[in-house]
Amino acid sequence: MIDILKVSKIFETKSQKIEAVKDVSLTIDKGEIFGIIGYSGAGKSTLIRLLNGLELPTSGEIIIGDDSIGALSKKELRKKRQKVSMIFQHFNLLWSRTVKENIMMPLEIAGLKKEEREKRADELIDLVGLRGREHNYPSELSGGQKQRVGIARALSNRPEVLLCDEATSALDPETTEEVLNLLLEIRETLGLTIVLITHEMEVIRKICDRAAVMEDGRVVEVAPVLKLFQNPEHGVTKRFVRDDIDDEDTELQIESIKKTFPNATILKLGFVGTGARAPIVSMLVKKFDLDINILSGNIKNTNEESYGHLYIAVNITEELLYAVIDELSKENVKVEVAQ
Amino acid sequence: MIEALKEMFSFEHVKLDAVWQATYETLIMTSVATVFAFVIGVILGLILFLSSRKKGRTNGPVYGATSFVVNLFRAIPFIILIILLMPFTKVLMGTIMGVWGAMPALIIGSAPFYARLAEIALKEIDKGVIEAAESMGIRTLELIYKVLIPESLPALVSGITVTAIMLVGSTAIAGVIGAGGLGSLAYMVGFTRNQPDVTLVATIVILIIVFAIQIIGDSVAKAIDKR
Ligand SMILES: Nc1ncnc2c1ncn2[C@@H]1O[C@H](COP(=O)(O)OP(=O)(O)OP(=O)(O)O)[C@@H](O)[C@H]1O
Ligand SMILES: [Mg+2]
Repeated sequence: MIDILKVSKIFETKSQKIEAVKDVSLTIDKGEIFGIIGYSGAGKSTLIRLLNGLELPTSGEIIIGDDSIGALSKKELRKKRQKVSMIFQHFNLLWSRTVKENIMMPLEIAGLKKEEREKRADELIDLVGLRGREHNYPSELSGGQKQRVGIARALSNRPEVLLCDEATSALDPETTEEVLNLLLEIRETLGLTIVLITHEMEVIRKICDRAAVMEDGRVVEVAPVLKLFQNPEHGVTKRFVRDDIDDEDTELQIESIKKTFPNATILKLGFVGTGARAPIVSMLVKKFDLDINILSGNIKNTNEESYGHLYIAVNITEELLYAVIDELSKENVKVEVAQ
Repeated sequence: MIEALKEMFSFEHVKLDAVWQATYETLIMTSVATVFAFVIGVILGLILFLSSRKKGRTNGPVYGATSFVVNLFRAIPFIILIILLMPFTKVLMGTIMGVWGAMPALIIGSAPFYARLAEIALKEIDKGVIEAAESMGIRTLELIYKVLIPESLPALVSGITVTAIMLVGSTAIAGVIGAGGLGSLAYMVGFTRNQPDVTLVATIVILIIVFAIQIIGDSVAKAIDKR
């Protein structure tokens, strides 16, 4: 659906050249929710703005559907943008228009008749759950409601791709959850492709199928979300994953546990999907007759799988340890010995 | 001293129909010039705004040229502008006297001033909103009347209020050199014939007009602002 081929973007300001995006290549499939995560200044916004031609690449090519964005005429690009719509961190609604008028704006631009506009806007108001608020002005809405208007507005021309630039970053956790669920629902019902950028790993975890990690203009890692969490390879990814899980606490605990049980071995059991539901601890106790001290545990849900880890302390011989690792691998549980 | 005050408040020379006539002329000059200043100023403001936001390091020739013309006319003192424009006014309006003789100078004196206010109003629009409109595939013309003007309207109204009040002052200056209106009444009758009561009445009427413009302008700006 979307092919980003060796794309670079250099901004030339009065004093310097800033290379915001460096040689990025990505392929995003139809119907996928694809996340792009990175710290501030990593070039995420620039990359997503290249997708709808708000910025043009210095080099490289972007292909969406059958069109190469850089090769489109101005008129064709305007037409294309009706099918590649965008929502924003700060909603960017027109304060001078009511909810309904905001939602109808892309339809006006597309040249629909008034009746059709009204009809479509009404459908969308129901879709995003804003019935009763359609004649309010944006200033009379909460942040979450404003973003719903933003989403309805972006969906009005039945786009194929929805670009989300930090769409939940200005919202509280509960509202974020609501908006993310709405995006998931939209993907299910409308089958569109969603590209979203964020600096919150939680957002990636909750709704993305795959994600790219950006640092300093480059994509440093691309993988299915589960893989990113279980097996982060790049340092930046590890940091994001750890921040999401709050691993630092656990590390501190391990230090103090080691002092209390100097002879114990500390194991980190990582499990995904079915493993997350199997009764592994009681299995270990019964089968190997071990005394197990549970230190901490954690289960997180991605949009399709759960994954998690468990820290345990056991008194165990090396021989037995290998047997345990063997047994657990049958259950799809990965064992690491914490140092 | 007491004598002078007594004379001023005697109102013995005040002819009501002359005051009405002068008020009417001032209102005509102010309102017609305000309408033109609004239209020309918004157009110039849009040119300034649109030509300065194009990508690139400098603003380009369109911005440079428009900005130069606007600055030039804003720099000329109004009284000199009237004199400077006389030959042009004569050709255009057929006269340099009266309400219509003053009109070109009033418009040319106020439109560039308002153009700057309009440019400022447009610059105040949330960049994100413009970007959102562009992400919908909007054309420049639609951008102007669907986004730029509605989103800057309260500031445009406040700006035209200031401009209209400035124009009341300008009509008074123009009145001194033959344009008619309350300024003319105050000078030609009140001053040259030494009838200070007439000057006082003209002043009071001007103050009422200025306050009325301010109140109307403020309440309109407030009513249309849904932020
Ligand atoms: N129009 C521009 N002109 C010059 N430099 C720019 C422009 N837009 C972005 N940049 C620069 O490009 C780099 C990447 O910016 P970008 O906005 O893409 O980052 P980001 O990952 O979206 O960050 P954030 O999370 O803060 O939004 C930054 O160094 C920024 O200063
Ligand atoms: Mg950004």
